[in-house]
Amino acid sequence: MLSQRLLLGRTAVRSALKPSGSPIALASRWSRTYASQSEEKDLVIIGGGVAGYVAAIKAGQEGMKVACIEKRGTLGGTCLNVGCIPSKSLLNNSHLYHQILHDTKHRGIEVGDVKLNLQQLMKAKETSVTGLTKGVEFLLKKNGVEYIKGTGSFQDEHTVKVELNDGGETSVTGKNILIATGSEVTPFPGLTIDEQTVISSTGAIALEKVPEKLVVIGGGIIGLEMASVWSRLGSKVTVVEYLDQIGGPGMDTEVAKGIQKILKKQGITFKTGTKVLSGEKTGDEVKVQTEAAKGGKEETLDADVVLVAIGRRPYTGGLGLENIGLELDERGRVIIDAEYRTKIPHIRCVGDATFGPMLAHKAEEEAVAVVEYIKKGYGHVNYGCIPSVMYTFPEVAWVGQSEQDLKKADIPYRVGTFPFSANSRAKTNLDTEGFVKILADPETDRLLGIHIIGPNAGEMIAEGTLALEYGASSEDIARTCHAHPTLSEAFKEAAMATHAKAIHF
Amino acid sequence: MASFAAACRVSARLATRRLQQDVTVKSFRTSAAALAAQNFTMPALSPTMTEGNIASWKIKEGEKFQAGDVLLEIETDKATMDVEAQEDGIMMKIMHGDGSKSVQVGTRIAVVAEEGDDISSLEIPADEVSAQPTKAAEAPDTYTPAPPNPSEPAEPPKSDSTPKAAVKPGHKTIHRTYPLYPSVEHLLKVNGLDKSEAKKITPTGPNGRLLKGDVLAYLGKIKADIPAKIESRFEKQSHLDLSNIKVAAAKPAPVGKSAKEAAPAPPPAPVKATVTLPVSLSAVLQAQKKINDSLGIFLPISTFIARATDLANDELPVPKGYQPTADELFNQVLGLDKAHSGAKVSRGAYVPQVGSLTPKGAVLPKPTAAPAKKDIFDILAASPSPKLKATASKLSPGLSAVGPNVFSLQVPKDEEKRAKIFLERVKLVLENEPGRLVL
Repeated sequence: MLSQRLLLGRTAVRSALKPSGSPIALASRWSRTYASQSEEKDLVIIGGGVAGYVAAIKAGQEGMKVACIEKRGTLGGTCLNVGCIPSKSLLNNSHLYHQILHDTKHRGIEVGDVKLNLQQLMKAKETSVTGLTKGVEFLLKKNGVEYIKGTGSFQDEHTVKVELNDGGETSVTGKNILIATGSEVTPFPGLTIDEQTVISSTGAIALEKVPEKLVVIGGGIIGLEMASVWSRLGSKVTVVEYLDQIGGPGMDTEVAKGIQKILKKQGITFKTGTKVLSGEKTGDEVKVQTEAAKGGKEETLDADVVLVAIGRRPYTGGLGLENIGLELDERGRVIIDAEYRTKIPHIRCVGDATFGPMLAHKAEEEAVAVVEYIKKGYGHVNYGCIPSVMYTFPEVAWVGQSEQDLKKADIPYRVGTFPFSANSRAKTNLDTEGFVKILADPETDRLLGIHIIGPNAGEMIAEGTLALEYGASSEDIARTCHAHPTLSEAFKEAAMATHAKAIHF
Repeated sequence: MASFAAACRVSARLATRRLQQDVTVKSFRTSAAALAAQNFTMPALSPTMTEGNIASWKIKEGEKFQAGDVLLEIETDKATMDVEAQEDGIMMKIMHGDGSKSVQVGTRIAVVAEEGDDISSLEIPADEVSAQPTKAAEAPDTYTPAPPNPSEPAEPPKSDSTPKAAVKPGHKTIHRTYPLYPSVEHLLKVNGLDKSEAKKITPTGPNGRLLKGDVLAYLGKIKADIPAKIESRFEKQSHLDLSNIKVAAAKPAPVGKSAKEAAPAPPPAPVKATVTLPVSLSAVLQAQKKINDSLGIFLPISTFIARATDLANDELPVPKGYQPTADELFNQVLGLDKAHSGAKVSRGAYVPQVGSLTPKGAVLPKPTAAPAKKDIFDILAASPSPKLKATASKLSPGLSAVGPNVFSLQVPKDEEKRAKIFLERVKLVLENEPGRLVL
């Protein structure tokens, strides 16, 4: 009775205030705020990215009552909206453009005027993104997940307050709560990202014109993919990397050297072992001051656009973790145990916001596992068996340990390699750069790591991942029939080279 | 006649023995042989099980059982498991009774007959196992580890009978149902090992899979402990390394090279501003009294303030120096921002501090110590930006029923205007028609 009065009363106050020209804008949301409070959920997920939406679908399939809160307005998180997916669209189409421009004549195809329509290129990207995000929304609906568009923050241990995107506020309570808020771009100190001249990966997939000179700070996977896109479209690209190798610390050194040589041939300039001291914006230009990492040689690089790609950091801002006393570690990651529980056991965290490599497929694995932990008490993610792929051309992919990892840990190993230049299919495709490299235990022949540079490496690594997951030996791969003529024969031959000898090399 | 029958029996047994491992032939053979009494041997309930204890027989000698009935309970070092009957039958004789210890897999533990047989007239078959020590529990890639039903044509064949009293172990058992890895199979063959030999090899692969290294170790070609060592390495890698977690300190100490290498001048500590506004609560008190008199409900003043705050936090203009995030910028690129909010407004999270004015005039609370200088770790770790929440005021806290009350907020300098608008709204609501906040 009283609460009903309260509702009416509040609306009345608003309408009373309005005519008097009060500063309080009228928005008739009170009734809605209270009406939309629904029953307790089995699982409330904060974040609709890869971790969040996969967990939501999985939990829905398990018959749980689920709510998924996402503030972006579209599902899929960084991956679908501003990460993996749009960049793959640009990589694929820019490769096609580049190939038509430079790589057709000797194949016997003569092409007339080739023109780039950047707007259309971007539109194609957006079509892919929209299709996929809408698809995810459909899947949530199909699995009975309540999708709440808004910003969630902890009110208490069981309640998440949501500031709705289209105004108003609601709250959801859940028996279990999953933090899946992901990560954001790590800014470069001293360079403010405006997404016009100083850009992050988000801006790099949405430039309005091809920059004449592009400086990429950070030669990791994101940096190199974006460097490839804009270099193919006509930019003069310089990649500045602090470490002595590109591709990030996880990439096998031999592979990193190999791909660097190939990308250099494609026209990208590399400055490895170089640190960026500062950046200065003057008008339309940015001047980037660099210095050799080991001290010494200074240099100034001019750029129309500077891409900051030094990494990503966990994103938990505005989540109200302090309201429930949850702690982060020194790198901002949510602290969890082996079952993804925070110190409040019914609140769990997966994906980029917590430990482990920041990869969409890792988040996806964890999302399924965490729901299984909640529902069945056991989940499975094998962190020793998570593949990494860089979608340059040729692609680079690896799984397991690298040669430098093994050396560092003093683990004996045997190497088997096979170049694509000796593979029949690669020869006919006239794409013969790269190789397959297999690392195995010298005594038991059990696979330790697989590293590939080559066309289609990203697809080929799936076979290696499967083999590694099953504890296979290189002989197991070699004794498995591979179709001829395919690129995957190179994989088989590399396995043969590991425990015996390759036939075709 | 008897000797003729015995001769038949022997030859039949010889024939079947040769075929025992072949599943397809086995079924052919059993239907043709159509027997009555059969040996029931200790089943292997897991790929690694070599022996077990018989906890108890659930079916006594002479009792009938149906498919699915639990025949007996077997204890291993790992678990106690039920063994279910796959066919209907009669328990003819139990060889190893309740509590038998360390019965080897494949040892005959009972003799069963087909339903309807007169067990008093049936012969007990010879113990096959002593003659064929390993075969009984073998055939790793068959679904059921049931005894291979050595058979005696003691009775005239019973036409279309299916395999007799085959036993399906309880659902808890694990079987190695997958095929051997190509390398393993190759090694076994090359070294003249039977597939059955594979059962004796300790597997170190994922989920108990037998790997090439395990066979090599078994053959003595490599040191025996190597596969296990490698397995433990893989086991370690398969988990997230959650050791040595360092909880973010309130003030992380600047460390090492990385902190220095790229550190620009630290951004200036945000300047705090305090916004105050005197608010008369007389209207609220009147309303409170009125409600108490007419409805008999006492509503504390804090309720009025909380509701006014809630209302006033709506749609505040965004602060001046508001930095859109990368996501927001991208949303702008896509035009997604226009989908929901046209004007630049956002909901505030202000909670005003209420204090009564001291006679000598308000002494404004001093801002709490400015946050420590930011270093690179702060930037990289994205320590949360200063809270919007007002910090505790030292201005004589609590409400005053008589004198004017002061509502104050401590906010970053940039948000001064936003905070002011918020306080004005609170004042407006509380001073004009507070009754409507609750009625």
